[in-house]
Amino acid sequence: MIRVRNLEKTFAGLKGEVRALCGVSFEVRKGELFTLLGPSGCGKTTTLRCIAGLEQPAGGEISIDDRIVSSAENGIFIAPEKRRIGMVFQSYAIWPHMTVFQNVAYPLAGQDRVADRVMAILERLSLGHVADRLAPNLSGGQQQRVALARALVAQPEVLLLDEPLSNLDAKLREQMRFELRSLQESFQITTVYVTHDQEEALALSDCVGLMHEGTLLEVGAPRNLYLHPEHRVTAAFLGAANFIAASVERHREPSGEALAVTTPLGIFVARASAEWQPSLPAELFFRPEYVDLLDKDAIRDGPNYGAGTVERVTFLGNSADVIIRSGEVLVKARAHPARLPTVGRKVTFFVAPDHCILFPAERAG
Amino acid sequence: MTDAPVPGGRMTVAVDSRNPVVRIRTRPQFSTRSLALILTTGIVSYLVLVPLVMLLYASVKSTEDKLPFESRVTTVGNYVAVFTSPAMLPIFLDTFIFTVGSLALGVPAAILLAWLLERTAIPARAWIASLILVPMTIPSLLSAIAWIQLLDPRIGLVNVIFRGATRSSSDTGPFDIYTLTGMCFVQGLRLVPSAYLMIAASFRAMDPSLEEQSAMAGQNVARTTLRVTLPIMRPALLAALIYFIIVVIESFDIPGLLGFSARIRVLSTAIYWATHSEVGLPDYGLASALGAIILVVALILMWIYRRLTLHQERFATVTGKGYRPRQVNLGPWTMPATVFCWVYVFMAVLLPFAMLVWTSMQPFYAPPSAESLRRATLEGYLNIWQDGSVVRALSNTLVLALVTSVATILLALLVSWFVVRQRPTGASMANYLATVSFLPQCVPSIVIGLALIFVYVRFPIPIYGTLWIIALAMTTRYLAFSSRATTASLIQVHGELEEASQMAGAPWMRTLRRITMPLLAPAMINVFLWVAVHAMQELSMALMLYTPDTVVISTMIWSMWQNGRTADASVLGVVLILLSALLLLGAQAIASRRSARHS
Repeated sequence: MIRVRNLEKTFAGLKGEVRALCGVSFEVRKGELFTLLGPSGCGKTTTLRCIAGLEQPAGGEISIDDRIVSSAENGIFIAPEKRRIGMVFQSYAIWPHMTVFQNVAYPLAGQDRVADRVMAILERLSLGHVADRLAPNLSGGQQQRVALARALVAQPEVLLLDEPLSNLDAKLREQMRFELRSLQESFQITTVYVTHDQEEALALSDCVGLMHEGTLLEVGAPRNLYLHPEHRVTAAFLGAANFIAASVERHREPSGEALAVTTPLGIFVARASAEWQPSLPAELFFRPEYVDLLDKDAIRDGPNYGAGTVERVTFLGNSADVIIRSGEVLVKARAHPARLPTVGRKVTFFVAPDHCILFPAERAG
Repeated sequence: MTDAPVPGGRMTVAVDSRNPVVRIRTRPQFSTRSLALILTTGIVSYLVLVPLVMLLYASVKSTEDKLPFESRVTTVGNYVAVFTSPAMLPIFLDTFIFTVGSLALGVPAAILLAWLLERTAIPARAWIASLILVPMTIPSLLSAIAWIQLLDPRIGLVNVIFRGATRSSSDTGPFDIYTLTGMCFVQGLRLVPSAYLMIAASFRAMDPSLEEQSAMAGQNVARTTLRVTLPIMRPALLAALIYFIIVVIESFDIPGLLGFSARIRVLSTAIYWATHSEVGLPDYGLASALGAIILVVALILMWIYRRLTLHQERFATVTGKGYRPRQVNLGPWTMPATVFCWVYVFMAVLLPFAMLVWTSMQPFYAPPSAESLRRATLEGYLNIWQDGSVVRALSNTLVLALVTSVATILLALLVSWFVVRQRPTGASMANYLATVSFLPQCVPSIVIGLALIFVYVRFPIPIYGTLWIIALAMTTRYLAFSSRATTASLIQVHGELEEASQMAGAPWMRTLRRITMPLLAPAMINVFLWVAVHAMQELSMALMLYTPDTVVISTMIWSMWQNGRTADASVLGVVLILLSALLLLGAQAIASRRSARHS
């Protein structure tokens, strides 16, 4: 179990200090895979390196299994080599002057049954046959597995993964994603995973934390985060999104959580996000795949319906992107490849209120 | 939820119960690295700054008949003497002529060679390119000796042959090596290999499409070279020029030997003769004032050099493309160009070495003839070891080379580790280390030797008169080159390779030993050899600091030569060259074995 509380980190930049982390707090339960997701420069790798001990935080506290490993306020900082953490680096950092066996045996220096333990983990990762090879003579996927074997061989309490799949080609990445997950589950090891790839984060994690400009914006299970984001940044980062200018009619009282809003597409019932406040200009959010394309003759009854002309269709293989023009507004939708709408056709569409969320409009500039 | 709930109560308990344990466990690891940083910074500062401060201190002490420490009088008299004494003017003038003359010969020759070998299709380029570098293994002391044997006005081989061919009745001339021209000639020849290396590198770094563009615009080779190639390379050439000004000003061996009998003195030899006067007492005040002046000049030049090489990045024309530039066909000029290359190789490599070998096989000096050929013998190589001091010189040289190179490489490794890896957290400390460790680059060897006399002659650390003081001087001098070289290599080693070792539970020292050092091994071997070969051949620091007990091969050759033991000096010279060559060949073997293992 990992607890991070109010983590602060500053770097010396060209123009004074740069705040890389501004009070990051989260908790990873035992055996859970927690993903820090965000664009480059958001502080996710810095957070990971603080947990590892490779960076010394300027403030806040980190504890692993109730052992405090770093506390700026109490002057505690345990060196990385004393933290019993396994880590896989983005570059894999396989030592080129050692064989696969020597690489993996390295963390076991001075322990018993080194050969047995190394061979066991190598076999588990199907690396037994390359044990005597020098690291540079391995394929990308094999290097990745050597890095994993080396991180796991000493049975650490925590596993840290820094964009471990980013150097692999697309096919291999997908395969390793499942292998990584099944490995993590069978070892029951508490894991923190850093990535900028939202698909990877959603597919792998028990819990995803979205980072933005040095803060941890939002934490949740992948499905929750994707379907019910509380922040505009989360909504925009996790997949494709429509944002349509919307105004809340004062005379329409919110019924429960739901609000009725007026948009150029018509009236929509939506849920207000945590960020939204009545005083702010608002935007309606929904994802393209929740836009139901209907026949033009379909009955339009009540809110959450829109209509327009198909402006462009982009075939993507397993699906198709459809752009619908409705007056000045363009709406992104997704269609099944077997039911492609024709360009120029008039269509009606429906977005279920459950998938409509109201965010404050992005500030201009 | 932006904040994960953290139960504060439990956390407090954790702090209280774990805190003491944690603190104790943190300390030992933390201090190894900090201790190393403190030690490295301390040693580097001590090695570099203390001698320089002592030199400046000595230069403002009145030292009539005294060592600088015994004098209580602070004075600018030494500087006044330097600038007003009529004996000094020729020294400055000769230094100037010597520098300009050597560069005027060496640098254009190097540019021409670099252009011919990098850009034209002259035959046997690979051979010429490797032969050009051979003089780097021959100490300049021995170049000077070889050229004396060739161009001594009375007995020099070239003069003897020339007089024979022209049936001259004179018994001297026509060439005289003991002149400023002779000094410039030998020094200029010696500059070529390293200047060639530097200039050829910038030819190689230049994007050939820039030249091809000019060719496409209808310009011929000569115009392309003059209008495009050389202007683009101007900053690099200027930087090389300034670098070699420092090299010539620092040069001691050649002006020391060639200018000895004719009493032609340059700044570096003037410092030596001021402290090793044949007639009077050593004048340390004068020597240190001269040293301070030479130091300031070198510092200014080095500052300009650094500025230029920083600038150079704006002109950076390096591209990752691996294709070779179009090679110019010289047509009718191929023959003269080839002849030029081989004449250089003959004059700089074959002729001096052959001359040394010849002299070493003669019981007494005689120009090659049927008669002297009959006297040729290898006995000199056997007999020389009967002189106990020669054996001592050899073992001293080997010990010195080993100690200096080990000390230098370890210090350089630590310096570059802190410079590269500490920069994010301790930028000012890293910059300090980088600057101070580079400083010796512009402190001439003779000045380091002089300064160390001041530091240790009365210092509580009793190393004056031992081999250690020479090793200390050399370590200081070679730290600049070595730490720059290891820094450049360490930058290539991805930091995550070391971090992975930390995460695998290895403390700092183990990471350094098991990961960093093996990964840097190729660079470390190269630096080790560079230092070892330089330490074996170095003359001026050894000459300032040696005693009869700590004689080394280079000082032995120097004194043999001064005492007219020509044959012995040549024997030892050949031994020294062979030792250097052996070391370099051994390194090649190690390097190729390593690369075979890794492929």
